[in-house]
Amino acid sequence: MSSVNGVVPTTIIVAGLALAAYALLMTALNRRMDIGLLAALGVLEILLLVLVGLIVAKLAGGGRPASLPTLIGYLIAMPLVPVAAAFWGLLERSRWGSAVVAVAGLVAAVLMVRLHEIWPVIHV
Amino acid sequence: MSEPTASPKQAASPGPAASPPDSTRTGPGRVLIAVYALFALSASARAAVQIATKFSHAPVAYLLSALAAVIYILATVTLAVGSPAARRIAVLSCSVELVGVLAVGTWSLADRATFPDATVWSGYGSGYGYVPLVLPVLGLLWLRRWSKRARTQPAIVTPAGDEDEAGEAARSKSVLRAQVSFGRY
Repeated sequence: MSSVNGVVPTTIIVAGLALAAYALLMTALNRRMDIGLLAALGVLEILLLVLVGLIVAKLAGGGRPASLPTLIGYLIAMPLVPVAAAFWGLLERSRWGSAVVAVAGLVAAVLMVRLHEIWPVIHV
Repeated sequence: MSEPTASPKQAASPGPAASPPDSTRTGPGRVLIAVYALFALSASARAAVQIATKFSHAPVAYLLSALAAVIYILATVTLAVGSPAARRIAVLSCSVELVGVLAVGTWSLADRATFPDATVWSGYGSGYGYVPLVLPVLGLLWLRRWSKRARTQPAIVTPAGDEDEAGEAARSKSVLRAQVSFGRY
């Protein structure tokens, strides 16, 4: 079976880790969440939505993972990560709002590895 | 932000002044709750799928997954509420969580037949980067800071509107003190 294009998951891992590093730097510098981090979360969100689209296309094409409910759960939860981090981070008016964004970046990267485990056609 | 900053460290920081940490949900608690919410979601989803699709395969492991999910949800909610009563429940759920991850971790290594499928707590949370082992420790440390503060500075523990009998005067004084203490973060 053909695989899902690996460029997008790989980009998400790199982007997630870069976002986490930048957000941790902001935390270390005692900066609270700003428009830069918000924009970066927006980019991560777009990448995740593109990946959801690619995986849905693969499902529509007749491919099936070992556990379809788990994959559907990931498809729903994945795009919520940057959105939830943006809301929760903006509520915090201290450096710890930036730290929340760092968590979201790391989670996005880890989710890519998990997706590959759930459905190996999703290459990293 | 033109709030008076009492802490020199805070005044020197390039970032805008932070609001005083008025609850377990602010400051580092914000990160803690984010991670707890993540585990609450993933543990519940995992337990739901396991119990719904293949319960007889490993009933003990799947029931423990469900128990872990309930405890994560409880910890997330009580840390986010942050009232004195909620903090007591949070201490309890973090303690159960720590005991759970140690007990299930040991059990899963000693008796692999009972755990053909991983739970959040199998192998001391090795499938989740040992975060399940670290999380309750951080939670308890964070909660202990708050119970210490509750003993020494009763007024700032409860957010405005809570049922504490601290007066308004004490509360406004406590805002200053909270800003001083925020320098420690």
